[in-house]
Amino acid sequence: MDQVFEGTPKADIRLEGRKVIRGEVSNDWASRLQWKISHNGKVIATAPARADLDYEHPGTEAGAYEVVLEMWKYEGFKAKDHGKFVEISNKVAYTV
Amino acid sequence: MLHIGNAQIPTCGGLTRRSFLQVGAAGLAGLNLPDFLSMKAAGAVDESKAEVKNCIMLFLVGSPGHLDTWDLKPNAPADVRGPFKPIKTKAPGIDICEHLPLMAKLADKYSLIRSLFHTSSAVHGSGHQWMMTGHGFNNGDPHPHAGSVIARVFGQKSALPPSIILPGKVGAVGDNLGERAQTAAYLGSAYNPFFLGADPAKSDFKIANLSPQAGQTEFRINSRRKLLAELDAIQQQVENASTVAHDTAYQRAFSLITAPETKKAFDLSEEKDSVRDRYGRNTFGASCLLSRRLIERGVRFVTINHFDTVFSIACWDMHADGGSLNNTVQDYERHLLPQFDQAYSALLTDLDERGLLKETVVATLSEMGRTPKINGKGGRDHYPPCWTNFLAGGNIKGGQVIGASDKNGAVPHDYPIDPPRVLATIYQGMGVDLDQVMMPGPGSRPIRLIDAEPIPELF
Repeated sequence: MDQVFEGTPKADIRLEGRKVIRGEVSNDWASRLQWKISHNGKVIATAPARADLDYEHPGTEAGAYEVVLEMWKYEGFKAKDHGKFVEISNKVAYTV
Repeated sequence: MLHIGNAQIPTCGGLTRRSFLQVGAAGLAGLNLPDFLSMKAAGAVDESKAEVKNCIMLFLVGSPGHLDTWDLKPNAPADVRGPFKPIKTKAPGIDICEHLPLMAKLADKYSLIRSLFHTSSAVHGSGHQWMMTGHGFNNGDPHPHAGSVIARVFGQKSALPPSIILPGKVGAVGDNLGERAQTAAYLGSAYNPFFLGADPAKSDFKIANLSPQAGQTEFRINSRRKLLAELDAIQQQVENASTVAHDTAYQRAFSLITAPETKKAFDLSEEKDSVRDRYGRNTFGASCLLSRRLIERGVRFVTINHFDTVFSIACWDMHADGGSLNNTVQDYERHLLPQFDQAYSALLTDLDERGLLKETVVATLSEMGRTPKINGKGGRDHYPPCWTNFLAGGNIKGGQVIGASDKNGAVPHDYPIDPPRVLATIYQGMGVDLDQVMMPGPGSRPIRLIDAEPIPELF
């Protein structure tokens, strides 16, 4: 039997200064959870988000930063790469 | 003195007075062998004296690469160490893969065995034989699954079967050597594991084998039970052990269909959403949660097969072959390791919070390891000369590493451990005295549960 993933994961995130904090993930598929960080509209980094509920990106270059949580979605063995990352939270932004 | 289940029997050293009196008393009471065996089948070891009663076996079908998970070699050449980095754990000096951060926080609860090996062929089936039963099958003669052994030793303590396998039986793995590694073998069909045969992660999860067919009322079920009992009475005039086995199997089947607690045990909707999220909303996570519910309700031994095949599914069998075995380190990072990390950590924590971990051994096993050197396509192939599995719960001490592999994870460098010792450790971890408790082997002659010594450092 192929694997079943129930529901659609969702989490709320918020900012405290430059630190981003997440709540618990509902309908958690338990695949890789990561922060996706964009700078001036371009993705510059991802960071693991499972072990801790908060994260602060070390980047200090001036500009607009945006952070969102994403999770790996397994789409089946025949799918390209077996799946893809999907965003599961609201986005937060700050400026340096 | 030895025991078959809870029956004391004579050793080669002679019949003791106590066992003579017990067997004699049974004879005086008119019990014949089938009666005696039936009593043992329905009864159990004296549970009041058993502190550890249960086992949850997580069987990682396909075999994780030990160098990518629980035995990283950061100083090895790049084509050996792979892309993952080690992280520290709660247990000083023990590092594991960076993609197992939740497990790292619980390292005081489990102990890694990093020097496992077997010398049989490098195929999944031979690993199933060794790690599910503790035996290689000489001439193809099967030995019982560990869950069947425990079912035989402890007996059934609720309407639920003593040994259940979730979510399904291991099927296609490229060879058929392990086909009978998930049976009761010579213990008889009464001790075969019950296969769930359904995915508990599905929102409409039901167990087809338990739900009466449409139109089949309780009256009809009970009528069938009565008719069957009458047929059994006739059949039991021909006395042999297989009659007893079938008798028990029938009783078990009817108990499963009719007992209200059965359906309750399998109903994951009774769990809070937060608990289901904690385990992970996937097949393996839901199976782990279900295993806790089953243990709580009297199942002795739950096996979870993390995957029932290695073909055309993202699983541990990381050949990266570009075909039906195209699993890669990316699958490990994105999917397999996080999924295992979350479910395993939730299971240990949940059992611990409920006071169940001290009476439940949690054994994480696999058929073998994977080649130290990464193959030409970025994968690793089958490798039984060295690998890592781990044990937690029951009487087993956590926070340790047993044995060590060499600098490239190619062979046990220190303290080689073969599979029978792992099974012996599980049984002892469940409180079974391996010098005292025996079971009926082929031809019903009494045999030890396993011909190996437990790992003493784990107790």
